[in-house]
Amino acid sequence: MEVKIIEKDNVLTAQLTGRLDTAVSQEVSAALQPLVDQADKTLVLDCKELSYISSSGLRIFLTIRKAAAAKGGKVIIRDINNEIRQVFMMTGFLNLFEIQES
Amino acid sequence: MSNNTYNLDAHCQAILEEYREHLPEFEKVVTTVKASLEKVFAEAGLVVASIEGRVKTEGSLAGKLELKGAKYATLADITDIVGLRVITFYIDDVDKVASAVDRLFDVDWENSVDKRKAHEIDSFGYMSLHYICRKKGFPYRFEVQMRTVLQHAWANMNHDTGYKSGVEIPREYLRNLSRLAGMLELVDEQFSSIRTELTDYRRRVQALVASGNLNDVLLDADTFRSYLQLRPFDKLNRRIAAVNQAEIQEVNLMPYLEAFKLMRCQTLGDIDRLIKEYSEPAYQIATYQIGLTDLDIISSSLAPQDICIAGILIKGAGKLGLKMLFDILNGESDSNEMMAEFLLEQTRDLPFMNQ
Repeated sequence: MEVKIIEKDNVLTAQLTGRLDTAVSQEVSAALQPLVDQADKTLVLDCKELSYISSSGLRIFLTIRKAAAAKGGKVIIRDINNEIRQVFMMTGFLNLFEIQES
Repeated sequence: MSNNTYNLDAHCQAILEEYREHLPEFEKVVTTVKASLEKVFAEAGLVVASIEGRVKTEGSLAGKLELKGAKYATLADITDIVGLRVITFYIDDVDKVASAVDRLFDVDWENSVDKRKAHEIDSFGYMSLHYICRKKGFPYRFEVQMRTVLQHAWANMNHDTGYKSGVEIPREYLRNLSRLAGMLELVDEQFSSIRTELTDYRRRVQALVASGNLNDVLLDADTFRSYLQLRPFDKLNRRIAAVNQAEIQEVNLMPYLEAFKLMRCQTLGDIDRLIKEYSEPAYQIATYQIGLTDLDIISSSLAPQDICIAGILIKGAGKLGLKMLFDILNGESDSNEMMAEFLLEQTRDLPFMNQ
């Protein structure tokens, strides 16, 4: 699982590649800490190369969303695949995030 | 600035000197009185437009002493060295603020003025409540002015028009200002009246919701919010969560107002019936979807979401109905159609679809 963070024009984009499962969740959570720290900005979770998300991954996304809500920022999830979209729907989280297609 | 700048006699110079000596104390009192007011308003849930405070400037005090210095034996006779102004949104709140000021400080009633009562029946003008107060441990009195935003606006306009400028204002302008004061007084009363009616309405709705007379409560944002306080989806959410021993993440359910309107709910009673009727099929959907996964977190919106999905499927609204639901909840997007197809496929063989 790889996480790459790019900052451009006050927008923080995290490019997620691989499977976000319990085994890598701590490592990914640490890698995404800059988004939590700068949650007053627009935060983009680029999921184009994300193939799977577990409950631990959902919790990480929710933590980022909570930080953004507290600091006045905004979270956009970009390009999730159908399987991940179904996970969001099956758990009732789909309408909680702004989901965009590029 | 030296005393020489002002045209003051020795008595007034002594008063000015006393003022300079105590200036830091006056500034401190502005801060502490303001903080006390903010605290008591917050505790009472009273929202005011602003609380302003100031210490009379040396120039302003000197001007006052030049004009009528002989009237004051000591600085303590001047009651507006420290002045605070509380501006409320509603006229009713002026009395609430006054009551809070009365409780916090010792009000000098003899010198306090209620200009709201001072008007003749055929005149309109400056309306404000001024309390002269004392505070424990502070030997000087201070003034608290209380007025509404509209009274404040009028007072400022009136002031800017120059009644203190010494230039005689034509009768026509004075009459117009008076008309404006009358109009603002009516507007202030209307705002308060609307707020009271709205509060009464909310109370009635809450009582109906609490008493279970849900069929009498029309569905709108206010009533839906009251209904959610009864936590009508908790039972189903807990039942679904138990499947995977999942944690339930609380989220805002207000977006479901529009979803229930899509389901043709007109009263809270209609939603209640929907919950009773579709909880079992909604449970079947959720169990099928997450039962064989290791997902151990769900959102509190899963129950209303799956109740709406079950209702749409049972009523035969199919893919189009599901897409409309997702368009409402998630915003319009092509992927909503894909989700609708996915759901149709998933639920085809569930028991409730074949009954």
